[in-house]
Amino acid sequence: MAAASDRRPLRFVSVRERDFSIHTARRIVSGDVRLSVANEGPDAHELIVVRSIVRRLPLRRDGMTVDEEALKPEILGTLEPGEPRTRRTLELHLAPGRYELLCNMSGHYLGGMHRELVVR
Amino acid sequence: MLAILLTFALSATVSVALSIWATSRSQHRALVIEVAARQRTLAERYVNDVLLARAGARADPAKTAATLAESARALLDGGTAPAVDGDDDAAEIPASASGEVRAQLRQDLRLVRDLTATGAALLAQRPVATLELRAHERITTADPVERLRILAALTANVSLNASRTIATRADHDIGALITAQVVLGAAGLLTSLLLAWALIAATRRQTAHFRSLVTSSTDLVLVFGAGGCRYVSDSVIEMVGRPCADLLGLGFFALVHVDDRAAVEAVSRNGEVRELLFRMSNRFEEWRHLEARVTDLRQDRHVRGIVFNARDVTERVRLEEQLTRQAFHDGLTALPNRALFRDRLDQALSRARRSNEALAVLLIDLDGFKQVNDSLGHDAGDQLLQEVAVRFGAVLRPSDTLARFGGDEFALLLEGANKSRAVGVARRLLDCLQAPVALTGRELVLSASIGIVLQVGGDTESEELVRHADVAMYAAKEAGRGRSEVFRYDMTRELGEQLGLEHELRLGLQRGEFSVHYQPEIVLETGAVVRVEALLRWVSPTRGSVGPAQFIPTAERNGLIHQLGAFILAEACRQTVDWRSRGLLPDSFVTWVNLSGRQLSTGGVPDLVRGALQAAGLPPRYLGLEVTETAIVVDGPAGDRARAELQELHEEGVRIAIDDFGTGFSSLGQLRRFPVDVIKVDRSFIQGVEHDAKDAAITANLVSLAHALGLVAVAEGIESDGQLASLRELGCDLAQGYLFARPGPAEEVGRALLASRRAAGSTEHLRASA
Repeated sequence: MAAASDRRPLRFVSVRERDFSIHTARRIVSGDVRLSVANEGPDAHELIVVRSIVRRLPLRRDGMTVDEEALKPEILGTLEPGEPRTRRTLELHLAPGRYELLCNMSGHYLGGMHRELVVR
Repeated sequence: MLAILLTFALSATVSVALSIWATSRSQHRALVIEVAARQRTLAERYVNDVLLARAGARADPAKTAATLAESARALLDGGTAPAVDGDDDAAEIPASASGEVRAQLRQDLRLVRDLTATGAALLAQRPVATLELRAHERITTADPVERLRILAALTANVSLNASRTIATRADHDIGALITAQVVLGAAGLLTSLLLAWALIAATRRQTAHFRSLVTSSTDLVLVFGAGGCRYVSDSVIEMVGRPCADLLGLGFFALVHVDDRAAVEAVSRNGEVRELLFRMSNRFEEWRHLEARVTDLRQDRHVRGIVFNARDVTERVRLEEQLTRQAFHDGLTALPNRALFRDRLDQALSRARRSNEALAVLLIDLDGFKQVNDSLGHDAGDQLLQEVAVRFGAVLRPSDTLARFGGDEFALLLEGANKSRAVGVARRLLDCLQAPVALTGRELVLSASIGIVLQVGGDTESEELVRHADVAMYAAKEAGRGRSEVFRYDMTRELGEQLGLEHELRLGLQRGEFSVHYQPEIVLETGAVVRVEALLRWVSPTRGSVGPAQFIPTAERNGLIHQLGAFILAEACRQTVDWRSRGLLPDSFVTWVNLSGRQLSTGGVPDLVRGALQAAGLPPRYLGLEVTETAIVVDGPAGDRARAELQELHEEGVRIAIDDFGTGFSSLGQLRRFPVDVIKVDRSFIQGVEHDAKDAAITANLVSLAHALGLVAVAEGIESDGQLASLRELGCDLAQGYLFARPGPAEEVGRALLASRRAAGSTEHLRASA
């Protein structure tokens, strides 16, 4: 998790996850944000926020999950798998740039659960 | 206690039911989890089967696809999950109830369909990119194999997550069950503890309540054990006025009356359940009667003893004793009454029958007691009875039973007495009455008539014995009073005759069988009839003509003499008026009527005489009353009253004659003071006047005495001319007897009066008439 580096007010960003898509604002202002993540199910989902450095994220050898080890420096925050119909929060400091929000449960990324977020 | 057990039972039942329900549910969930987890394996197997089949190897992806689909449907809606070769058997699983799990299983079913559709398209070499994806996958790759693997991963993922969710729910349920069990157990335990506390508190309150009741109750509570008295209530300590320690053990029995001690000790040992009445000394060393209800509670673990619940019934016992005493004793003399005498006689007869011993019953009746009562009043009579009871008691043995039957009648039971002893006792009883009794300033000498009956063994009833004694007593009275008679069976017959005569007398009065005859009395010098004596005559339908000598004594005894006296007085007055109205009588003619001693002693003669005179309209001077010598010489108030009444009548003009003169013991002084007009010399002297010098001398003296006192002398019972001549020589004034005329009815006498009046022609010869 990233700690806030400046004192601007915390922004709330709503994120909805469902089989097999992630919905949120496409663009937000940089700064400290609090992601309010709602899992609408039916499956369990996690959330990983990664700075987008490439168009296609690298996969592990199983070909079904993103290689988080390889992306480790770029990962800003992670929410472990959450049960359907639950809401969790993740506080981040997002600098201007492009970010990828994804669920890395087996097949979920490839099944469509990823979303690009542009921070200005 | 019952509430505690019920609480425990309810808690245990709920707990067991919950456990059974939870176990059953866990078993079902385990099957569901197993089948859901198996979907991951099946999805991966399906991908391999498709790839093998496409490569031409032996594989049956359709079968795997069917197993996948059937398992997904069974997971969602319940039913049979098919067996998997080399792995699991078919399993019957319930439909999922949880909304979240059902959503995941529906997604699983959709993914299975997408997966198998993609697999089928791949094997059929159809393009997969155009397949509609039902589970909202947004797969972008065009590689059909990669697409197949992604779908398999998604299917495995969702089924695995579904099984995890179910497992998590199961864990939650088990946790909830454990919590429920703990809560239930705690609640049951708490409830039980509360109930136990409440039970203990209630028991303590009840114990305190009962202790308070026992200690404050006026009832006496004692508990006995093997060593004697173990507990006494405060009321016992209060009653006996001794410390508790003195009563415990054997100390209590020392306070029980010696006659009751054995019974109390026995009951306190054997616990026989019964009512027990015993006496116990109180703080004032008075004997109190206690009535105890004895309860054997030796088997009761709370008591372990024999309990006496006693109460003081002394007042009740005393009242009962008093009532019993009143019921069986005479209140005046404190002697046993008739009922108690009868009871003792019954017992004595029973003993006599067994032992063949003799016993005697004496019935004692005081002579003349009624006169005492009438003349001195009932208080004096009561004092006399008390004195008699004391005197009788002084000459008897303690074992003899003396009773008062009522009035002046006493009874005596002598057990083991023969005839000589019974007669001896009767003699002592009569002797003890010889000493005068001082009453209201006077001294009375009493006598009694005693009937004795003896019984040796036999089956005679007490009632019959008393009746026989009564007959003997009656015989003693008949024989002259102041004596005793031993019962004989022929007495019964005599008594029966007496009773019969009494009965017929009463009937005769009712039926009008009585009439009045008149016997003329003549002047010895002239033979003129100058007076008549009215005589009662009874013609009984069964006895015929009965003379006064036969029935007057009986009438005097039973009181009929009063009615008969009133009858003859009224009739004589009426008849005299009748004769006088017909001019048959000279002016000095007097009709004489006999007055009995009973009438005189009872009193009320002036009213009776005045009533008869007024009713008939006869002036008093034409009526004369004849009284016996013995009747007017009675001592005491009754005699005084009789003399006063006669004096009163004499002053009003009624003539008075002394009948049977010479047979009594009247003194000359009395004769001088008494208002007498005529003396009638008793017939016993007249009968001997002709031949017996003594009778002649007595008669001469009696005639002289009469003349000396200015009285007229009348000779009774003249039956012969010799007697008539002698009396004429002695100077007797008037005569009466069969020689001149027998008593006759009024008509016959009326004719004689008429003849006499004609013969006399004048009234100058009536000098002798009083």
